[in-house]
Amino acid sequence: MNSTANELVSDPLFQLNAILWLAQPLPVESNIIPLLHRQGFAVYAIAPLLSMPLDVRLIADRQKVSMQVGVRPDVVLENPADRKFCICECKANSFGPDSSTAAQARALLVTAGPRAAEILGLATSEPLVALLNFVVPEPCRPGMTETISVLQTQLRTGGISTGACSAVGLLAADEGISIVVDVRAAEYFGLSVGQNLVLRTEPGNDPRPLYLIPYDPDVEQSANEAAYCKRVLFERVHSSIVAAVGRAQAPCELCFKSHDLLNDATFGMFEHWENRESERHMRSICRHFMGALVKAANSAVPDSAFFEPGNAWKVSLRSQQHSEKLMDAITRFSCETLDLQAEPPPTLFDDLPDTRDDLSQN
Amino acid sequence: MMNEIRLRDIHTRHAMIRFFDGEAAARVEELDERRSRRPWVKTYLLEILDGHETQTSEGLQKLFGNYGVRFSPIDDHLYFVTNETLGEIGFAERLSTRIIALYSALDSNQLKSWVHRLVHSSPDIDHVWLSGVTFGVLWKLVTKLSSSSRFTRLVFTHDSIFDVDAGDAAAEVEDEQGDSTTPQVEEDDVEPIVERRATSFRLVDRVGVIQNKLEILQSNYAPLHAISQLRFPSAVGRGGHDFYDNGRVTNRSESFRDHRSHLLFVVRIYQQLLTSTEDQAWYSITESVGMPGQFRKIVGAPVLVRFQEALNQAVFDEWVNATFGRKRNKFRFWGHPIRLGPTKVHVYGVDRHLFRPLFLELTAKGCTAIIPNGTCGNTIHRLVTNIQRYLDPGAQAYIGDKPYRQIVEESAEGVPYELDGE
Repeated sequence: MNSTANELVSDPLFQLNAILWLAQPLPVESNIIPLLHRQGFAVYAIAPLLSMPLDVRLIADRQKVSMQVGVRPDVVLENPADRKFCICECKANSFGPDSSTAAQARALLVTAGPRAAEILGLATSEPLVALLNFVVPEPCRPGMTETISVLQTQLRTGGISTGACSAVGLLAADEGISIVVDVRAAEYFGLSVGQNLVLRTEPGNDPRPLYLIPYDPDVEQSANEAAYCKRVLFERVHSSIVAAVGRAQAPCELCFKSHDLLNDATFGMFEHWENRESERHMRSICRHFMGALVKAANSAVPDSAFFEPGNAWKVSLRSQQHSEKLMDAITRFSCETLDLQAEPPPTLFDDLPDTRDDLSQN
Repeated sequence: MMNEIRLRDIHTRHAMIRFFDGEAAARVEELDERRSRRPWVKTYLLEILDGHETQTSEGLQKLFGNYGVRFSPIDDHLYFVTNETLGEIGFAERLSTRIIALYSALDSNQLKSWVHRLVHSSPDIDHVWLSGVTFGVLWKLVTKLSSSSRFTRLVFTHDSIFDVDAGDAAAEVEDEQGDSTTPQVEEDDVEPIVERRATSFRLVDRVGVIQNKLEILQSNYAPLHAISQLRFPSAVGRGGHDFYDNGRVTNRSESFRDHRSHLLFVVRIYQQLLTSTEDQAWYSITESVGMPGQFRKIVGAPVLVRFQEALNQAVFDEWVNATFGRKRNKFRFWGHPIRLGPTKVHVYGVDRHLFRPLFLELTAKGCTAIIPNGTCGNTIHRLVTNIQRYLDPGAQAYIGDKPYRQIVEESAEGVPYELDGE
């Protein structure tokens, strides 16, 4: 399951989680050096949906500049004291000005421009200092910088104002993982130009931190990394179920809905997923996991759990003794027994959204 | 027996205080006259999980009723406690929104086993956990509050159970009574030869003498950071109040009123500590102010524990295997560890006592915990207590970038220390 540090720095989920950790309060003794937190930055928003101002869209249409009408950057960081807002987008690779990703990048460049306050939903009367920051593996940074420059010129030529932009590289070395910052980013974040160590690693250990955001079906990942993230998602779903069964007072019936389980496992991010396909994919893998867990539970304690199509998984706790046996079966089960690289086969229920009630005890 | 006066005949708070005051004075008198003694009056401080239901008298009665414990109200905050097995147990008083004190004069072992079973059968009830760090701060208060000539008692307990000694795996499994804070120093004919660091001794001396020496001793021998018991000398007479790391408090003074004052003092600090740790450590995603409903941001801070010295490979492996390979483990965690190298694992698991999610990174150098919103602050205090006791007595803990010790010190600031009879 271990990935090499070089593979990791190209993984957008690792990149996102690394950025989130750099903005967490941590003591100097930590292996993670939270440079962004120390410079006053905190997480302002995760994957916010930002719309382009209507007049900018009209100009783009008129000038035939391809630009997304709404974007969802991975994370926005805020330094309240200096009223700085940094819009971060994590990328596995750089891309060219003619690629399909360029339309997203143009919109992101506008979000960091003079209209940033309006786009971020902030008071327009108070000035703010915005920066668009692409996070890429260090070898891709020069290419990314070049693309940014071309895209900025295109937009400005078309009469569309853009903001400041930088590319930060992630670099793996023996002592750990560093961020490599250019002059613009160094000035903005108050860091040194060049390499800044952010994750100290122990020999032989994988440098990744605990994942705050464990899964995102919309990003491009290697098969290994996708399987790792799926495992973390499953472990978190599993922990929600163990917690609910452990807290229940038998006799009772528990009801688990994929929406609630996925929301629990993603700190509430699942309900903000707007990509219908991705949402369906998430429900599908959740059903795959739950199917295996229910099978394991029923083989140890027959007729304890079942799936009610269009509704949820129901688990009956008939008595205290029954509850303890079932808990044993549920805790013994491990998602390691599943093929995490395989896509779950489609089922008749994939299109059925379950109701959005809270995980409830009836 | 203590029940010359039947507890069920006590119907007022005043009568209860008088009863326990009488019991306390009688114990000291028996001790002076070297007569056979009945059990000391003792208190168990229990933490109940935060929730609207338990804030009412009915809710509290229902919570304990679920585990066969009957709470019969005496007034708004005081209850007469019985159950089928032990009959009359004593009295319970809500000392703060989340802390219940159970007062009893039952035999120590009998009461200890009963409380242990109660706590272990309920995810809504936990011990109050006083870590070595918390005791360190309380000790400083003892030195300020007591005359330097008063006698006090400290007990230090550290047992490196993961420092593998072949055939001693039983040490890593939780014992039936859950705590073993009383040092067993007697020689035993069947005592096995154990070769691992195990410190367990009590120190009785004048407050001033210990005050002068303790810090120097701690800097030379780390297990002396693992304070597991501390006596607050009584403010009104001889003896004092022995606080244990699992919230047990034995009244070895002549006054129950003084005992209760000390409980209130420590409970106020602990309640403040719970609130501070939860406010800072709970991870959740909340709406950003800018655009409610659209922007989500992470709030919270990780809990970090750093060891003084890195664990060796064998100890690290044993810690992970014993904690996650056994249902009954000292840390009471559940999860399937994801190995990320020889000395690193991630666990997206559950605090098996309170049944709340908990995400952990364990390495040879320490531990990082993410406590999702709603997970009780007690999880943090139990984690720090157990790490000091079983892994590294001098481990440093932080919530975010703030030292845990500082949070305890701030929680103790301004808490009134006063005699509060009833």
